[in-house]
Amino acid sequence: MIVGGCDVGSATGKAVVMKDGEIVSYVVIPSTTKPEITARTVMEETVKKAGLTSIEDLEYIVGTGYGRLKVPFANENISEITCHARGAHWLSPTVRTVVDIGGQDCKVMSIDEKGSVLEFVMNDRCAAGTGRFFESMARVLDCGLEGISSLSVKSENPAVITSQCSVFAESEVVTLINEGIEVVDITAGVNNSVAGRLNSMVRKVGLVEDVALTGGCAKNEGLAKSLEGKLGVSVMKLPVDPQIAGAIGAALIAAEKLSKKTEAISS
Amino acid sequence: METKVKSKVLQQFQEATETIVNAELKKWLDQGGKVMGYFCSYGPEEVITAAGMVPIRMRAIGSTGTEMADTYMSNINCSFCRNCFNMGLTGEYDFVEGLVWLNNCDHVRRIYDNWKRKVKTPLTHMMSLPKMTAEAQVEWFHDELVIFKEALEKHLGITITDKKLWDAIKLHNETRRLLKQLYELRKKDNPPITGAEALAVVVASTAMPREQFNQMLKELLGELSEAEGISDYRARLMVIGSILDDPAYIKIIEDVGGLVVTDSTCFGTRIFWTGVDEGESDPITALARYYIQDKPACPRMFDTQPKRSKYVSDMIKEFKVDGVIGERMIFCDLWTGELFMLNKDMKSTGVPFLQLDREYITAGAGQVRTRAQAFLESIGR
Repeated sequence: MIVGGCDVGSATGKAVVMKDGEIVSYVVIPSTTKPEITARTVMEETVKKAGLTSIEDLEYIVGTGYGRLKVPFANENISEITCHARGAHWLSPTVRTVVDIGGQDCKVMSIDEKGSVLEFVMNDRCAAGTGRFFESMARVLDCGLEGISSLSVKSENPAVITSQCSVFAESEVVTLINEGIEVVDITAGVNNSVAGRLNSMVRKVGLVEDVALTGGCAKNEGLAKSLEGKLGVSVMKLPVDPQIAGAIGAALIAAEKLSKKTEAISS
Repeated sequence: METKVKSKVLQQFQEATETIVNAELKKWLDQGGKVMGYFCSYGPEEVITAAGMVPIRMRAIGSTGTEMADTYMSNINCSFCRNCFNMGLTGEYDFVEGLVWLNNCDHVRRIYDNWKRKVKTPLTHMMSLPKMTAEAQVEWFHDELVIFKEALEKHLGITITDKKLWDAIKLHNETRRLLKQLYELRKKDNPPITGAEALAVVVASTAMPREQFNQMLKELLGELSEAEGISDYRARLMVIGSILDDPAYIKIIEDVGGLVVTDSTCFGTRIFWTGVDEGESDPITALARYYIQDKPACPRMFDTQPKRSKYVSDMIKEFKVDGVIGERMIFCDLWTGELFMLNKDMKSTGVPFLQLDREYITAGAGQVRTRAQAFLESIGR
């Protein structure tokens, strides 16, 4: 049984090919302005990497992410909330709280022992706590996205950024720069501000261990560290790239749907 | 999903939700009829009808921005208020003879403050709506209704007799009864009408001459009673909240398979589930008692949450609801508190609950869709 998951996000397209419950290949590409093209490009590359010739070799495909309605080759679409929960659970079955930080939103899901969503909260009304937020901070600080992560962990005296609005936060950061505060300390402040936002969202659905971070921003170690401090529990590191958790979830659901379909036909 | 019935009246109702002056209202205006707007579900439409005018519930559908209103109002006033006042400033409500406000919330009061200074509406009137619901407040609202009636009499140079008031009460009660009949059909396992379509009917009931509306709704009920029901849904949902008058919003939820079968909103059951007691001694007391005590209360009334909580749980049973969506407009303090309580209620009874924040004008369909779809997936549908 060979299936695919295709997660068309606002910033990146992710695809995974799975065979008999194992990941065969995955690819992450930047999103284009045409979700259909992002979907096809990333899926084709993933299929090639898996040693297959075309998308048609996949027996079932689930699309997810903001562009999930624009995945022309998908058999069906499932919301990214459900997919991230399933993906994180499959990667680490003890996870009960999933914090997903994507390009244009962040969401927190509480999940049960099967990986099903019990409750979720989502912020997509503003850029606070999203990849876009980090991008704009990295631009002002001229340190690159990588710098937000690597520099912040060195800070011993994080700056305080009170605003959670990315526009106002940017003004605050500019003020800090002009006050001569070290970039290292400002990056730590940026991570603390996002972690603060995530902290309140986690507590809204109820903090239950284990907690896992997914999505592109999960690679930010400074953020994970800061969130651990605020939650008072450790945040687990997923065994693969956390950015593809949604695509993995989509592929897992694809496998499930396919076996149900096969059962229905054979019975 | 949509109803299997090809109904001309339903289409007229749907068109009425998309504009402020619908075809039936235009006919009335063209004949020289007068129209008076009211701002909240506590607006006493019966008194306006008794004065020979058509009462319309104030809406801001079709508003394309708030830049005029933003000069006068703060950006923490809710988007309904800013859009509605903007339409006043741009002249889209110039056709109304009068407007009546109640101090139902501070946001709406700010429309009144600004409107009476900046928009030339012949009659503007503010009624004081009590916060409590005891006998003393029925008397209080009785007096407010008398003051309002007298203001209309003076402005129009007419006398509003008790008979006219009783006739108006009967007419509006008929609208309520018919709307309730429509909702009865939605209790079926396969309801003949979607939530978006039913919302269009309720919105139209606040926007048209009522005799005409009642006739049209009777026709629709006839068409629907024999209709084949809707079966391609994943779950039956109830929507709870405030000023939700845009069927397009409900349609987003229904497009991912969540059939809305009932509601507790003020463009929904809370304006017609109960009626005015036609056996009262005088019509003004009957109206006062209806608005203060008998009508399903808005969260702005003190100590009414337990009653509303029961109202919701009864409805969940009656309409076989699988999940509840609570919606609030951003900056609505009343509904923020209410949904917090509702969430607790739903958790304690095990009913899946989703809270959606929204702006008055439906935008960000993708964001609503993602949440609604994830909600249906999480309740296993």
